[in-house]
Amino acid sequence: MTKTRGRMGPTLLLKIFGLAFFAYLFLGFMLLPCLNTLASIFNTKNASGVTDPLAVIRFFFAGNMGSFVWNSLKLAVCLVVTVNIVGVSIVLLTEYFDIKGARILRLGYMTTLIYSGVALVTGYLFLYDSNGILTTLLAEAFPGMDPNWFSGFNAVLFTMTFACTSNHALFLRNAIRGIDYNTVEAARNMGARPFKVLWKVVFPTLIPTMFSLTVMTFITGLCAMSAPTLLGYDSINPEIVRLAGSSSADEAFPQARAALLSIILALFTIVLLTVLSSYERRGHYLSVSKTKAKLQKQRIDTPLWNILAHIYAYILFIIYMIPVVMIVIFSFQTFGAIRMKKLDLSNWTLINFFGSQDYQYLTNRGTYKTRKGSISGLFANEATLGGIKLSFVLSAIAAALACVIVVVACNYIFKNRNKKSGTLMEYCMLFPWLLPTILICYSYRVYFNSNDVWYVGGTNLYYAGHVRLLIVLAYTVVKLPFSLRMIKAAFYAIDEELEDAARNLGSSPLVTFLKVKLPIILPSVLAVFALNFNALFTEYDMSATFASSYGTTYAMVIQSMCREEGLYGYNVNASGRRCASTVFIMVVSGIILYLVYGVGARDLGERLEAKDRRRKRLERLKGLGRRRKEAAV
Amino acid sequence: MIRLNGIAVKFGDFTALHDINVHVEEGEFFTFLGPSGCGKTTTLRTITGFIQPVAGSVVVKGKDITHVPIEERNIGIVFQSYALFPTMTVYDNIAFGLKLKKLKKPEIAKKVEEIARKVDLSGEQLKKAVSQLSGGQQQRVAIARALVTEPSIICMDEPLSNLDAKLRVQLRNELKQMQKDFGITTIYVTHDQEEALTLSDHIAVFNKGAIEQIGTPNEVYNHSATEFVCNFIGDIDLLGAEAVSALNRAGGRLDPAANNYIRLERIHVNVDPKPGNVVLEGMVDGLEYYGLYIKYYIRAAGQIVKVIEKNDGVNIYEAGQNVRVVMDPRDVMAYPAT
Repeated sequence: MTKTRGRMGPTLLLKIFGLAFFAYLFLGFMLLPCLNTLASIFNTKNASGVTDPLAVIRFFFAGNMGSFVWNSLKLAVCLVVTVNIVGVSIVLLTEYFDIKGARILRLGYMTTLIYSGVALVTGYLFLYDSNGILTTLLAEAFPGMDPNWFSGFNAVLFTMTFACTSNHALFLRNAIRGIDYNTVEAARNMGARPFKVLWKVVFPTLIPTMFSLTVMTFITGLCAMSAPTLLGYDSINPEIVRLAGSSSADEAFPQARAALLSIILALFTIVLLTVLSSYERRGHYLSVSKTKAKLQKQRIDTPLWNILAHIYAYILFIIYMIPVVMIVIFSFQTFGAIRMKKLDLSNWTLINFFGSQDYQYLTNRGTYKTRKGSISGLFANEATLGGIKLSFVLSAIAAALACVIVVVACNYIFKNRNKKSGTLMEYCMLFPWLLPTILICYSYRVYFNSNDVWYVGGTNLYYAGHVRLLIVLAYTVVKLPFSLRMIKAAFYAIDEELEDAARNLGSSPLVTFLKVKLPIILPSVLAVFALNFNALFTEYDMSATFASSYGTTYAMVIQSMCREEGLYGYNVNASGRRCASTVFIMVVSGIILYLVYGVGARDLGERLEAKDRRRKRLERLKGLGRRRKEAAV
Repeated sequence: MIRLNGIAVKFGDFTALHDINVHVEEGEFFTFLGPSGCGKTTTLRTITGFIQPVAGSVVVKGKDITHVPIEERNIGIVFQSYALFPTMTVYDNIAFGLKLKKLKKPEIAKKVEEIARKVDLSGEQLKKAVSQLSGGQQQRVAIARALVTEPSIICMDEPLSNLDAKLRVQLRNELKQMQKDFGITTIYVTHDQEEALTLSDHIAVFNKGAIEQIGTPNEVYNHSATEFVCNFIGDIDLLGAEAVSALNRAGGRLDPAANNYIRLERIHVNVDPKPGNVVLEGMVDGLEYYGLYIKYYIRAAGQIVKVIEKNDGVNIYEAGQNVRVVMDPRDVMAYPAT
């Protein structure tokens, strides 16, 4: 509607440059690599060197490739059941029913927010592995028990059931807190028993959230990576990574098979997300009440049920908390104690975090040999520290890049919100959401592993140190959809009159953006940056796909710590460092989540009030000191 | 001071404004009044430059500003939502325009404090965040921010609509006082006829993208130019054929084919008729109690006539009571039937 005179030259130039950049980003780093993967399925050459478009597909139906898809589907379906049961339980137990100690329980159930992925899986391994602490304890108590119970499908299902309830803990909790308590009271008033109310009044309002969570869980199960890899389960993702690193000398067209598997995964994801978004578009039951009453916790009246509910709640709490508590404790234990899996309450150490010690071991010649500084802490071990540093730098760059790109894109989308160009931009930025991460990474790895890609200057991006650039690119692209959804919401929350007001007071469009709009969305942008960083810092799936000695990220280092330790004096106290790593990750994530949801969510008024309180406290302290001095005089 | 000459605005195919002609004098309080969607805010936004008209011109002090960019117009505006910057303190909100003018810091501080005093904001409040202030205080900040750059004109877009009833009346009076003190030309948009009548020197009544009447509050109220204006402003009785012929018998010269209206307060109950007045026998059908006054529904001349009586304890009637309704044919406003 508004038009400004003049300055069209540079503005137009900037716009053209911007649009060219986005076209480059979308075509070059989203569309082309993935299309190349799709095409590679049909470019397979058979043994006689003739192109046979359907060779892989015939192979798929003849060989065992189908079993990977089947395994993934089995995992996804089972996870939907188990995660929903546990996820709904933890939310009802902490938010709906009156369970004693709900605050503590909630903290326990939410631990998955601060550690997940490879850190969580290695933690579970540490406890439940055939020589893990808990398995050893259990085997002593029940001699008939199979010490290898924690492997394969069971282990993956068990681990992921408790690892994947974070979304329930966040979104289902919000949904249940959004229920108008008056509807519950009305149902009770009309004679419904508490469980009838839960089933007939509360659950129906949760269905939309439950549906989204179910689809997300299903996709998580299909695309599972760290748990199947580390616990040994033949699902699609680990197989793609294995095939990507294999060569045609060892097996029949591994690259094309990997491509086929990743396309199958993509098809599943696209179908599921289409179903989800068409469901979301149908609209939901919205609360019609203007004056919502806050939900009050429901007491379970039958004593037996009440006791059973408490027992159930605390068993879940123990399952959630044991790995956390054990890992924190063991991270401060000595090498020997960890090795023997025996708590030594008299001997605590920081060696798993800082400093190093010499390590003495018996060689097969019967002599003792000492390796200097072989027992080393997280921040003293060169490989670990290298992984941390690399992950830190790559994640920070990618998280920031994604934010900058999305802020610019959102500004454009917002300005053209009723035009086709705005919608097109939005869909381009959301494109990676449709594709499994593994497809994007695998496509990058294959497509950029060549000197023929002209638009990156004919450089092989998978070669040597260039792989770091490739990782940053993948990190950035994969984080675009999430960033867009969050930052766009912030843009839409800006009162349009603010922009008018700023212009009216004499500010140019650029100054308006920098001084008025940016400060308003900045908390959201910083939050997105922090959440992106948090997710990427311990990211495993992508770095595993790009596995290379130049791109050994923190998660890869943690994975390598799971290998047999102490052999010939190498890889000593890896388990200790693994525990220390998990503690370090929990601290980093905890701080980030506190900054995002605790400090970052405050507006200027709340910040000024907090400042005021601090000032008053300081004055009180000073006053106290002065009075004491006076009293002393 | 401000002249709008034949302004037309289109949104796509929809014509939002057509042929808007307004002349606002220096120092005047001028109100755009009309129902929602009538084009009053669009006209205001055309003056401030947020909207470009497809035809016509905006002239301020003899200078055509139709194509001058928003930020160079120096026309202050107070928004309905106040549009205060949430990331800035009250002080920074008010100082925003001055900083853009590259004024020196001490000068900015002086101006901000001066205007804050005038709109009754304390130094303590200047340090606060906007969200820490009440609705009324936020409104003062919005006014201070608009006035501090010393604009030649200030525009207000329903600035009182976010406040509760009592505060609205209080701030309305303060607003008028401030406008008098500053002597600034003010353009005020509202859908509230009471606000328009109490505040304005002149009112332009908008309907469907066009102006129906421009006049003083008295002209608009007592001599409404169109049927729309007389219906939109205040409450009114449409007289039926029986009442019209009774009025004509008493010496009125009303056209029975036209729509004849009379204001509620121009009808009197149980008073001695003056020469030329007509008296109708009626019966109280029902009443609405407002406290300050009572609205009676009286069945007379084959219709229901609404009448307002001051609640002074003298003229109190009950439902079913027989009364005499007195009116003067000269108070009738007539419009050709459409």
